[in-house]
Amino acid sequence: MNILIADDEPLARSRLKRLAEESGDIHVVGEAGDGKETLLLCEKTNPDVILLDIRMPGMNGLETAYHLSHLDNPPAIIFTTAFSEHALAAFDSNAVDYLLKPIRQDRLAQALKKARTVNRAQLIELSKNDDADHTRSHISAQISGNIYLVPIDEIYFFQADQKYVTVRHKQGEVIIDDSLKSLEEEFGDRFIRIHRNALVAKAHLDRLDKAAPGQWSVKIRGVDDKLEVSRRHMTIVRKLLKNTAK
Amino acid sequence: MNNLSSDSGKNSGSNKNTPIVDDFFLPDFCNVQMVFSVILIAELLSIILTLAPLDTNGTRWEELGVISLFVQWVALISTGVLCIARAWLKKLNDTLAATASYLVLISTTTIISEITYWTVRWLTVAETARIDWYSDFLWRNLGISAIVSAVALRYFYVQHQWAHNLEAKSQARIQALQSRIRPHFLFNSLNTIASLTRTQPAIAEEAIEDLADLFRGTLADTSYEVSLSDEWELARRYLHIEGLRMSERLRVEWQVNDLPEDALIPQLTLQPLLENAIYHGLEHILGGGTIYINGKLENDLITITIINPVPEYTHPSQRTGNQMAQENIKQRLSAVYGSKGKLIAEQTGNQYQLTIQFPYTQIQVRE
Repeated sequence: MNILIADDEPLARSRLKRLAEESGDIHVVGEAGDGKETLLLCEKTNPDVILLDIRMPGMNGLETAYHLSHLDNPPAIIFTTAFSEHALAAFDSNAVDYLLKPIRQDRLAQALKKARTVNRAQLIELSKNDDADHTRSHISAQISGNIYLVPIDEIYFFQADQKYVTVRHKQGEVIIDDSLKSLEEEFGDRFIRIHRNALVAKAHLDRLDKAAPGQWSVKIRGVDDKLEVSRRHMTIVRKLLKNTAK
Repeated sequence: MNNLSSDSGKNSGSNKNTPIVDDFFLPDFCNVQMVFSVILIAELLSIILTLAPLDTNGTRWEELGVISLFVQWVALISTGVLCIARAWLKKLNDTLAATASYLVLISTTTIISEITYWTVRWLTVAETARIDWYSDFLWRNLGISAIVSAVALRYFYVQHQWAHNLEAKSQARIQALQSRIRPHFLFNSLNTIASLTRTQPAIAEEAIEDLADLFRGTLADTSYEVSLSDEWELARRYLHIEGLRMSERLRVEWQVNDLPEDALIPQLTLQPLLENAIYHGLEHILGGGTIYINGKLENDLITITIINPVPEYTHPSQRTGNQMAQENIKQRLSAVYGSKGKLIAEQTGNQYQLTIQFPYTQIQVRE
């Protein structure tokens, strides 16, 4: 069995590696120190199971698992944590595997034997509890079988057409299958709805321009094209620009 | 698989705190133990009433029998009524509930007195001349009942307050302890030590010693002041353990040579702030960062600043995490130094700066 260890602490990784290898018939194919590295190594090494620390810098374990769930053949996941007061009940009730640090060898062996994948619905439930960060740090899209990550602060806007949502970011464009509504719920404090079909990053919002009589559009810093603002959202866009100008 | 770790999950996770003391001052009279105490107290009262009169026409034993019969009736029926009425009384506020219980006790006495009187009269039809004892009997009983009931209710109230305070105190103590040590830190440290024991036993040993010192400091009464050098020592031990865990992601720059080592500082002021710097700052940053600790002494005022990087963006719901330890330290500083003890927190961009300030008092060296 091939496993990947993800933990930001080198000592925690080395102990886990030793325990896993002593359990026999287990091969540690990689060690990752943060979420992004985990995703990269996962694509490269194709492990059967990932031992995934929940608390990691940059992208935490839950978010990493969320992005992994977009893969065609996602690996099984066992979360590891030192302490998490509210989360454990949620893990139990959603039938998601976890191990408490310091991890016991027999528990690890037992967990690896029965490890299973985690789906997005389970992860969304898990992220609802108190001590988890509710929002993702990245948006992920699948491009030719690989996970493509876009950091939230590099996103200019989300725009929906009939079927998909396009993410316009510093590096270009990707298409994702999240709905604009769920994106607004998740990132409501960083993005503003300017139209039925568009969410714009507040940080990149530049100014309002008159497009035609009674029609307005916003200029977004870093992007050439302008986005239409619907009459319904005019007031709050104007208010936001006024406040940031101060 | 579901119950892979469920046993430990239950221990640390979902145990709900139900207060032992219920929020109502009247005890549960349906409880057998309570009924027994009522009988005992009623009997003691009967004995007092028997012993009290100076002269007696019958033998004291006979009188005790009669008085006990009467007092027990009153006591047990009152107990029964309060047992049934408790659920209802609980909904009232304390004053109303006390008044209602008082009325219950007095009316029970009145009713039993009436019944006693009429039964005695019916049994002794011939001696109609004795009717005049009625009012004397009734008023005496009411008087005794009024005083005993008032004392009993007052006793229950005080007893309840006492139990309530006791619980509140122990709750506060537990909360204070929890605010001082993060379970995260404890388990992470144990994990670090578990990893070191085989590969680097000497360092593991050091880490255990550091952890022991830290816990001693944490469990001590923090109303004490300690010398600044002791406080630095504790902070260094803490940072040493965290350094083992985070390795090169944690860097610390000290500039505290200007500070007098013999200055007094409330115990455990610095370590919780450094813990915050790591827990809310460095741990969330990919490459980690540097904590700058500066100290200076000016005009007999000691100023210590702790500067640490924080992630670019934190969700609004997460920003409140710092508050508990900071609030606790702020209160302690102002408790010891009044308006001269300050804690100021400010964030500029991704730098978080904490400043604490307090007057310089030299430690008293014991001869």
